[in-house]
Amino acid sequence: MDSARRLGPAQIGVLAQLGVSTVLLGGIYALIAVGLTLIFGIMRVVNFAHGEFLMLGMYLAFWAFSAYAVDPYVVLFVSIPIFFGVGLVTYALVMRGVIHASHNVQIFTTVGLSTALQNVALVLWTGDFRIVRPWHSSVVIRFADTAFNLSQVVAFLIAVALTVALFAFMKWTHTGRVMRATAQDGDAATLMGIDTDRVYRLTFAIGIAAVGAAGVLVAPLYAVYPTAGLQFVLLAYVVVVLGGLGDMVGAMLGSLIVAAVEVIGSYLFGVAWKEVLYFVLFIAVLAFRPAGLFGQRGAETLGA
Amino acid sequence: MPRRTLAITVVALMLVTGGLLAVVHGQSLSGEYKIGVLEPLTGPLAGEGKRHLEGYEIVRDMINERGGVMGKKLVFAVADAPDPTAAASEANRLVTREGVKIITGTFSSRLCGAASEAAARHNVVYWETSCVDPRFNKRGLKTVFRTEIDATGFGWYNVEFIAKHLAPRFGKKPNELKIAFLSEDSSYGQGVTESARQRAKQEFGMQEVAAEYYSFTSINDFTPIIAKFKQLAPDVVHHIGYTNDAPLFWRQAREQNFLFRAHVHAGATGYGSPDFGKALGADANGAFALLEPGPGFRIEALRPEGQKLEREFREAVQKRTGSYPLGGHQLAGGGLWLLKLVLDRARSDDPDKFRAAVMALDLPVGSVINGWGVKFAENGQNANDRVQHYMLQWQNGQLVTVWPEEFTTNRAKWIPLGAWDRRK
Repeated sequence: MDSARRLGPAQIGVLAQLGVSTVLLGGIYALIAVGLTLIFGIMRVVNFAHGEFLMLGMYLAFWAFSAYAVDPYVVLFVSIPIFFGVGLVTYALVMRGVIHASHNVQIFTTVGLSTALQNVALVLWTGDFRIVRPWHSSVVIRFADTAFNLSQVVAFLIAVALTVALFAFMKWTHTGRVMRATAQDGDAATLMGIDTDRVYRLTFAIGIAAVGAAGVLVAPLYAVYPTAGLQFVLLAYVVVVLGGLGDMVGAMLGSLIVAAVEVIGSYLFGVAWKEVLYFVLFIAVLAFRPAGLFGQRGAETLGA
Repeated sequence: MPRRTLAITVVALMLVTGGLLAVVHGQSLSGEYKIGVLEPLTGPLAGEGKRHLEGYEIVRDMINERGGVMGKKLVFAVADAPDPTAAASEANRLVTREGVKIITGTFSSRLCGAASEAAARHNVVYWETSCVDPRFNKRGLKTVFRTEIDATGFGWYNVEFIAKHLAPRFGKKPNELKIAFLSEDSSYGQGVTESARQRAKQEFGMQEVAAEYYSFTSINDFTPIIAKFKQLAPDVVHHIGYTNDAPLFWRQAREQNFLFRAHVHAGATGYGSPDFGKALGADANGAFALLEPGPGFRIEALRPEGQKLEREFREAVQKRTGSYPLGGHQLAGGGLWLLKLVLDRARSDDPDKFRAAVMALDLPVGSVINGWGVKFAENGQNANDRVQHYMLQWQNGQLVTVWPEEFTTNRAKWIPLGAWDRRK
């Protein structure tokens, strides 16, 4: 073993930095996964186009910044209603027709939507890599032996806030309770007088609003291009399975676990191993705890 | 009988004069000679594909002003190849429907394999000017040639630069240098990196402290790699990256205050792309990228015939695009000019005669566009040390030519690289 791989007391600084990197990267993954787990958990739809809505959010930040010099943090507030609207329209045009269809039909539909959105972006904005460079993306905060990027810290804090807000919404509001009821048993919910179509529409719109906002927040950190969503979306599925379907806090914890596997695995074994490592984790969770690390046993079949 | 003899004589005379007429016509360029040009003109690669086509058109006009090819005016049958399937089917169509005997193209390593395979099946010449896939010339295809060096050539040049320019400026011997390799894992990154590793170790005895590969489509965080590299303290970081990952590595290296003496890349993506400068502004300062000649290039350093050609080429590009030639113009234009030289010599598109002319061509560095020379190997690959490449460096928002020094007015700065905020 070479000296870099030996974790001795002299390397507390390295450990601290790896810890910070894990938390910040986990924040980005959580931002993306929260919307996905909501849609997954309540509608039982695997939204393969999730990454493309992230990409659209990144383009919104890019165009607002390059054409009107609007900071992404200002765009954030506008993006939530915009993407809520995008979610409603997508639901009406695409999802409503397949919400009661088989899982295969839903998968084909969302994969089709994903490819269509990528190509719309390609036609409208070309395949060029675009960069959003507000002042805060190059601000570095140093603390002891660790360094943080300001944009990444903000993204992490908003991820925590968003997770807590959605958790509270689901737990303590009437609409949240209605949504959970629909997730548990769609038919029974209908018999209790719940308009399930409205619940699904609302769920989809909230999920898309969350991922649109995530896109705006990650735009200062990563290049914007038509297939940018693919870079994150596979990870988001791992996170959602790990955390349990529809579990907000699970998604947050799952994100941190995936980020830890990635960061520590890359350091110890090399970055080429990172996908092997977290997909092994993914398969292990599916095999031994199919409801996720924090989910209830059997929850995965509810409402199916 | 005499009447028949007369008739035969008349016909024969007509044929001869007809032939003579054809020859005369040829000299005044009234005939046309058509070649196929295959580039991605739609889809994600279209931007660079169109730039290549522009380069071909500029040099085609230069060729026609100087007598065309084989006494005829050079014309193009242009076809669009957005993906490998289209590249193969369009190459077939160019041969069977357009009747071309020579196809040139296709810049992308994703396309050149399929296109050349299709051309070779028809026993038609395939003249590649840009793609760098190392496998391209290893298939034993006798009618397939490449004017640009391949990815292994990039690695060769990078190590040349590190051993012969950087090491002396650090005051070290090449075998005292510690070098860390980092690369994206496509055929391009692997080709460059593996050849650089091999040459660095075997020829110069450099100390390799790390070799890491990653997928550029899924890399989201370089901090673990940077934490590891910081402890290994390399003198040189050799990083082959694409357009999304190179700025990410550089930004995070700055955030983590990772200090190294030099950072070297090769190719028109990543650190060699204008997007890198856009992403980082003045923070980009110091990074090296191996490319075609850029600002600072000294035309006077070329041979007299090369100077004249390079000047005319630059003026033609300037006239058409209003800017300094970009990589696409240089590779396509430089490659097409070499095709003209081959046809001047072969005076035929017969594959055997064409091949013989390619093998006979032997020009030193500085003879043609981009300061290139020519010497093809049996496998159809132009030689590394003839296709002169240049090291460019990011200096205050611009990539400028810094090496080899006899070819440029600029000098490499910040050697060794100082603190991140001291590179102004």
